[in-house]
Amino acid sequence: MAEAMLDLIATRRVVRVMTDQPVAREDLERILDAGRWAPTGGNVRSVRFVAVVDAPTLRLLRMVSPGMFQRPAAAIVLCIDRDALEAERESRTDPTPAYDIGTTLQTMLLAAHALGLGAGPVSSCAWAAVSVVLNLPDNLDPRMIVCIGHAAPPKEQLPMRAPKVTWRDLTHWERFSDA
Amino acid sequence: MPDATTLLTEDEVIELFAFLMTSARSQLDDPCAYASMRLLTAAEDLRDRVIERVGPEARELFEQTRPTSAFAQTHTNDVAVYTATLDELCAATARFLVERFGGPDVG
Repeated sequence: MAEAMLDLIATRRVVRVMTDQPVAREDLERILDAGRWAPTGGNVRSVRFVAVVDAPTLRLLRMVSPGMFQRPAAAIVLCIDRDALEAERESRTDPTPAYDIGTTLQTMLLAAHALGLGAGPVSSCAWAAVSVVLNLPDNLDPRMIVCIGHAAPPKEQLPMRAPKVTWRDLTHWERFSDA
Repeated sequence: MPDATTLLTEDEVIELFAFLMTSARSQLDDPCAYASMRLLTAAEDLRDRVIERVGPEARELFEQTRPTSAFAQTHTNDVAVYTATLDELCAATARFLVERFGGPDVG
């Protein structure tokens, strides 16, 4: 199980080009279910999911999300529920909700990959416009869109070139010396 | 030469308007370098929407610069390469502008 999980982590890629093949409702529900298991600060669980499969709504979402290169068959909009935060007396300046969005995002990306789907995050959006498109209630702040679909062949993907790094490049063992 | 009003449908105009307007807002939160990428994306989107409807000279410009533009989109992480590629695109565009709108050579 460990090898399978580690392989899943290492082979996941952000998918920016998707086919128009629909995503099965069951798969989408499994991704949503995976998202609920993501760790959240203080176990507050302030992240809410808005799942979108309606083609006109997806088109509208894309129109107000300049970072959405994909034309996804489905999207999950991750929102912070401010009512849930206030119920826990969380400070508005507390960065924890942003971490919760991150853990939820990664969990969903891995779940999609495990199901053989492609997924990619989009955070470059006009969130006020996203709120209008989805008619979100005032307590929900949209923070991230998880685009989901079937990945186009690798040769059609947009390569994002970056220097190769290993964990050793990123890691320092123990306390830094003064020198 | 096609009439400008036939180049884009009203829906296409609205989509491009929305992209630019929402980019103006989202860029306040995004890394500064993304602004260039968004404008390049908008230029490519405009090109792709009209390329079948423009005259032969403009079509030639669009077709000639398309591979370079695609190359730029995949090298945004390398500032030097990205900058040089955009310079190349701008120079090609300028040559087209001079050819199309420039007056006779003087001197």
